[in-house]
Amino acid sequence: MQPTQRTKTLLSSAFVCGVLLTAASAAQALTQDEIANLKGPDRQKILEEGAKKEGKVTFYSAMVADQLLRPLSIAFMKKYPYIKAEYWQANGSAIVQKVLAESSAKSIVGDVVESTDLSEPLKKAGVVVPFDSPELDSYPDVYKSPDHYWSAARLNYFSSAYNTNQIKAADAPKTYEDLLDPKWKGKLSWREGSGSGNQLFVTNILILMGDEKADAYFKKLAQQNVVNFTGSARALVNSVMAGEYPIAMNIFAHHPIISAQKGAPVASIPMEPVPSITGTAMFVKGAPNPYSAMLFIDYLQSKEGQSQLEKADYFPVHPDVEINKKLDPIVPRKAGLKENFITPKELDDYSAKSDAILKKYFKN
Amino acid sequence: MATAPEVWGGTVAISRSGTWRRLRGVFGVSPVVAVLIALLLVFLVPPTVYLIQASVYTTKPNGAFDQFTLRYYADLFGNPRFLQNLINSCVYAVGSAAVALTLGTLQAWIVERTNTPLRQYVFLISIISLGIPSVLYTVSFLLLLGKAGPANQILMSLFDSTTPVLNVYSMWGMVVIEGIDFVPLTFLMLSAVFHSNDASFEEASMMSGAGIATTFRRITLRLATPGLMALVILIFVRAFESFETPALVGRPGRINILTTDIFESLRNAIPPNYGQAGAFSMVLMLIVVGLLIWYNRLSRSAEKYQTITGKGFRPRVMDLGKWRYLTAALLVLMFIVIIGLPVGIVIYASLLPYYEGITAKSFGLLTFANYIQVFESSSFKGAISNTLIMGAATASLVCPLTALCAWLAARRYRGAWILDQLATMPLIFPAIVMGVAFLYVFLHMPFGLYGSLLSVILASMVRYLPYGMRSSYAGVLQLHRELEEASAISGARQATTFIRIVLPLIAPSLITCWLFVFLLSVKAVAAQILLVGPKSQIIAVTLFDLWQNGQVTELAATGVTWMSLMTVVSTIFYVIARRYGLSVR
Repeated sequence: MQPTQRTKTLLSSAFVCGVLLTAASAAQALTQDEIANLKGPDRQKILEEGAKKEGKVTFYSAMVADQLLRPLSIAFMKKYPYIKAEYWQANGSAIVQKVLAESSAKSIVGDVVESTDLSEPLKKAGVVVPFDSPELDSYPDVYKSPDHYWSAARLNYFSSAYNTNQIKAADAPKTYEDLLDPKWKGKLSWREGSGSGNQLFVTNILILMGDEKADAYFKKLAQQNVVNFTGSARALVNSVMAGEYPIAMNIFAHHPIISAQKGAPVASIPMEPVPSITGTAMFVKGAPNPYSAMLFIDYLQSKEGQSQLEKADYFPVHPDVEINKKLDPIVPRKAGLKENFITPKELDDYSAKSDAILKKYFKN
Repeated sequence: MATAPEVWGGTVAISRSGTWRRLRGVFGVSPVVAVLIALLLVFLVPPTVYLIQASVYTTKPNGAFDQFTLRYYADLFGNPRFLQNLINSCVYAVGSAAVALTLGTLQAWIVERTNTPLRQYVFLISIISLGIPSVLYTVSFLLLLGKAGPANQILMSLFDSTTPVLNVYSMWGMVVIEGIDFVPLTFLMLSAVFHSNDASFEEASMMSGAGIATTFRRITLRLATPGLMALVILIFVRAFESFETPALVGRPGRINILTTDIFESLRNAIPPNYGQAGAFSMVLMLIVVGLLIWYNRLSRSAEKYQTITGKGFRPRVMDLGKWRYLTAALLVLMFIVIIGLPVGIVIYASLLPYYEGITAKSFGLLTFANYIQVFESSSFKGAISNTLIMGAATASLVCPLTALCAWLAARRYRGAWILDQLATMPLIFPAIVMGVAFLYVFLHMPFGLYGSLLSVILASMVRYLPYGMRSSYAGVLQLHRELEEASAISGARQATTFIRIVLPLIAPSLITCWLFVFLLSVKAVAAQILLVGPKSQIIAVTLFDLWQNGQVTELAATGVTWMSLMTVVSTIFYVIARRYGLSVR
């Protein structure tokens, strides 16, 4: 018995279907880990094809919305018109809370997160995945975590700020010791409940002075009745501008410079050593839009994305993107100031000690 | 307004018809009642159970409960800060209740019992002020009384001081702001109390030669005392559980109260301290339960003092003579402080490029840039539509449900008293505790609901059930049974009677209920702040975040836009409430 034409057609179409199905499932079968560590010449093509199906990406970040997140997402959507980029702005600890809650509630919304103080807690909780982006090849090692859990998306320098209507430049405190002067009693403020706020200030002093001297320093500082401000760093600088608090300690050094350009009565005073930390990007485990998320991380770390930071007066970390000239006075290597670069791990290692000091001297 | 229904329901079952008797369910209650009880339990039991569990179990990093422990309670009671914050809570609640009552009583007396000019507008203004989000209201007072605000500028030039005279980030600041924020609601509740007092007692007093002040003190106030006392406790409870003012005013001034402690143990600890928040919540809840029991006793005994009787009830106003211009001036002054200044400064701030108090320089900088930014932002549009959907959904779920419950309870269906109790139960959850409890529910759900708008709507629905119950009850109690009996005699079934007779008759009170629940649910932030996610942003939480991020001018523009929208809603509320009688109590 001969196979009829009909049988042949049936067989071949079954084969074609099988091939197509396999191909389709191969395209679908990439796990998040595979996407996060994709290599090879067709990486970009695979990511873009996946992203077209997803059509969106959600980014949580502590960077100021109008200044950076809005222009950054607009620029990203220009490059990938088929991905709708949405952002949610909150401080580092709020982002950590959100990611932990979303993953235990099994309703993950955020794909990529970025802030100064979230890398260690999120890594420990196991709610992020390691990733690799070709854009990171040109970055120095300090800006990449050895285990690939984070990449530095920006650098931040910290300084004090003062209201120039209330305090003359000559009188303003210039060193950490100056802050202990009784004339500043009741005039100092810092941010509570944020890794880049009073915790970073304490960590910097601990590294600078050692445990014993640092303890003595904070015992004296406690006499100054430092205000524990609960909003963001930007909000604290705004309060200084509005005259609520004459001096703010440990705020982002570029914020006063930006506001002073608009005529606001505020200035930065870098104190040596100037603490600096990175804002780190991470890839959330179980991200609903993994392909778009990977493209977003690529873009954030690329020269193009980093120049968005430069335009917004942030400090880019890409080696080929220069920092905006007007920020030179607060960039330690350009202003001739000593710098203390604190890695995310160091900040976390010191957290027990810094929390103990804050609890001992600065909680009511 | 946040009150338990006056009628706590009877257990007497009146069997309505043979069919009904046969349909009666396994528990001896009618099927409708049984279904409603089950429905309410579904919404009430999980949050309660999870809250208790969270306070006595350690939580694993993935959110699952781990080991039984009493550590959180031990920590709480062993911590001197707890006692301090408990005292802070009490001082704050007593203080703001005192401010609200003093101003509210004065306003209510002037409006209800005197012939002061302009008094008819107070009602309208009070209702319109219901549309102002609490966060916005608090922020407006921070701008007014802050170190860089106009109050300090004036005082500094008066006293020739170089440093600010007032520090609003303090206990008095919290008390004043919260107290003033409560005045409109206190007025609305008190005007009913004064309204129901017979004026003949006052007339008798005046004729016996007592002056206005003596009459007010010895007759009006005395007669209103039980009603007043009940309100005192209510306002105390509301202040005790309030969150917005303590979070925005107290925390920067290092004054914590129990509600902000709960918020901090979830927000400022990594990972969140679920156990501590649970223990704090349980303690706060128990205190509120105690207060509400006290309230119920008082409000029942208040009935003894009712002076509305069938005959001779003449709610007449007193002629103040020339003094009426003084009381009119007082009303205007209160209007300026309660609405004029706060709204004024918010509008002013919304027009500035950056906020630095009121200076000659800043008048030259006025701009619409903030409004343009707000209208162009997609997150603002999202927040507006989310908030409108949330408010409308909450009101649309609460009102029909509570109307049915209230009717069944008022008609003393067997078991319906349980409905009454269950629908009133959420009162014992302070708003922030409600948020915590629902957070735990959503974190433990097998499917993802956390962060969705639906999750916010569900929590908000449960939160406002008692308010709807109260409002519906007032409507149902006005109905006489005759009409329903006529319907039944004509052969209509219970469901038909409810839909065709009862519903149309209580429609006006249903509409006021709907608008009232809508306005309240979109105003507050405490119950929702722990639940909303990037996909379910609502206006009140957006305003809170904007303040935390220091975007004062954008906050002001957002707030002004939202307020304008809400003024439309509250004016509709006013028109309907005026026409059909208001039942906000």
